[in-house]
Amino acid sequence: MKVYFGEFGGQYVPETLFPALQELEDEFSAAWNDREFRDEFNSCLRDYVGRPSPLTHARRLSAHLGIEVWLKREDLNHTGSHKINNAIGQILLARRMGKQRIIAETGAGQHGVATATACALFGLPCAVYMGTRDIERQHMNVERMRLLGAEVVPVSSGSATLKDATSEAIRDWVTNVDTTYYLLGSAVGPHPYPTLVREFQRIIGEEARMQILEKTGSLPRAVIACVGGGSNAIGIFSGFINDPVELIGVEAYGDANGRHSASIHFGSPGVLHGARSYLLQDRDGQVLDTHSIAAGLDYPGVGPEHSFLSATRRARYELVDDRQALEAFRLLNRLEGIAPALESAHAIGYLDQYAKGHAGAAVVVNLSGRGDKDLHTVLKEGI
Amino acid sequence: MITEAILTKEKAVIPYVTAGLPDLDTTGEILKVLDEAGAAAIEIGIPFSDPMADGPVLQKASYAALQAGFSLDRLLSRLEKWSGSVRAPLIIMSYINPIMRRGIKETFSILREKGVQGLILPDMPLDGYELFTMCRDSGLDLIRLVAPTTPLERQKEVVSQCSGFVYAVTVKGVTGARSSLPAEIRRQVSDIKSFTDLPVCAGFGVSNADQVKDMLTFADGVIVGSWLMGRIMEAEKPVMAARQMFVELMGSKRI
Repeated sequence: MKVYFGEFGGQYVPETLFPALQELEDEFSAAWNDREFRDEFNSCLRDYVGRPSPLTHARRLSAHLGIEVWLKREDLNHTGSHKINNAIGQILLARRMGKQRIIAETGAGQHGVATATACALFGLPCAVYMGTRDIERQHMNVERMRLLGAEVVPVSSGSATLKDATSEAIRDWVTNVDTTYYLLGSAVGPHPYPTLVREFQRIIGEEARMQILEKTGSLPRAVIACVGGGSNAIGIFSGFINDPVELIGVEAYGDANGRHSASIHFGSPGVLHGARSYLLQDRDGQVLDTHSIAAGLDYPGVGPEHSFLSATRRARYELVDDRQALEAFRLLNRLEGIAPALESAHAIGYLDQYAKGHAGAAVVVNLSGRGDKDLHTVLKEGI
Repeated sequence: MITEAILTKEKAVIPYVTAGLPDLDTTGEILKVLDEAGAAAIEIGIPFSDPMADGPVLQKASYAALQAGFSLDRLLSRLEKWSGSVRAPLIIMSYINPIMRRGIKETFSILREKGVQGLILPDMPLDGYELFTMCRDSGLDLIRLVAPTTPLERQKEVVSQCSGFVYAVTVKGVTGARSSLPAEIRRQVSDIKSFTDLPVCAGFGVSNADQVKDMLTFADGVIVGSWLMGRIMEAEKPVMAARQMFVELMGSKRI
């Protein structure tokens, strides 16, 4: 398996973890080539998650924008986001490896809920690390995780968001590496996680490609997804990577005061959480605090494969700020009767920029999650 | 020479100090008293925003030093004076990102110029050979960590790309004082010593004079970080506290 994507990726971790990463890579390779494992994964996705998720033609939004918008409905998955695909895949892997305890990090809480759900389904104890700032703004997901029997461990160090939760999960893993499986939620972290998470999310792109061909007879002009760590984006991109299709990731441009989490746009190569990738850092290599109204995008790094896709220009990365994401949230509610997660609302929010100069073009947007969890935040801003 | 400094000490204890806490002047004074109290070598930690190998005490120390305005430039401007004023060899401990950001080669040669003798990187990549040769070319010792989980083949590879001393990590986990340490460390150290002439020093979790005494019966040296930094951070007079705590660790009575 490739450890690097060009100059990005790798394994920069405490020495204690190398054998565990090797074991993970070996087990994943074996499992992914094992028909029985694949069958079990696929039947879980079908009968428990509810796949395939539909591809919805957003008729009124399309008329409004002057382009043809197709929504890949990951919001309709069980637990309400694409995160469940990866959580199911990794929990099956953890079982295969005989691990007795699961840990995870979460930002918006979607990955935490997905992991807690998978753990409930298979009867495994689960601890989810979450920044205290995120606990506050994603309260509903915290309660959901507790209902599912998971322990939510508050992390108050640093900026008290996803990056600190991730560091704390890694510390737990170093300490309990023999018994514990670290179920990482995004396409970040040391090898093999970025590859493994992409493979478990690849189903999004594979389905979307078949569905758009079936419905329109041709490939879309562009595939668009929001990027924090980048798991939903890499999942849908991977279905179209060999096609003449524009791949567009949308980063969070944050508030009007220069606080954002657009690592590819404004970052430089650096090492965080075990991989080299674009990173928001100061001149001393200290990681900067980030901001996005979408907790799931509020992360100073990005998956190494996205850095590679950007550097090689196979994908491009655009910006949408908090205000535009909120507008997109409202717009999709009113025109399509769909409340997107604020993360996914960033992808929707990019469409009016894209529509200029691409009249009539067909685009597939990954609607990676549903927005119930964000009502509280949106209501504070005013409907 | 780090290797000699450890092997010639009857009791080789290596303290770790986070740079810039509460400020760099104080760090300089702490180095001096630790040196006078008989430190075999001294580790100076560069604070990092996301120290994933560190427990709560060193996280807090790192965070506080950054809040207090630590910058790499300011540290570099002091190093020469510090290395000239102590006998103990100085070792820099840094996560890899601050060094990468500045430029690995450039940083290595600046450190050497300023009199630093060794380097510890807790998040080295799996293949550390390139970093090892770059360190060697700059004249720095690259001190590598061997963990309780490291398989024998990997131990040999790591140790072959290591100089100064081998850092045997006592526990699976992050830094931080522990009241008891696993018995396996004794075997781990003797395993490593069976295939290298480098001194083997044990660290992570050390919290009292008895542990130090015990560990020195089988290891060439002992590294103490969190316990010392915890006391320094609590103290009203950090320099005096550092001296007292270190003397206590060395097994002499408090002064």
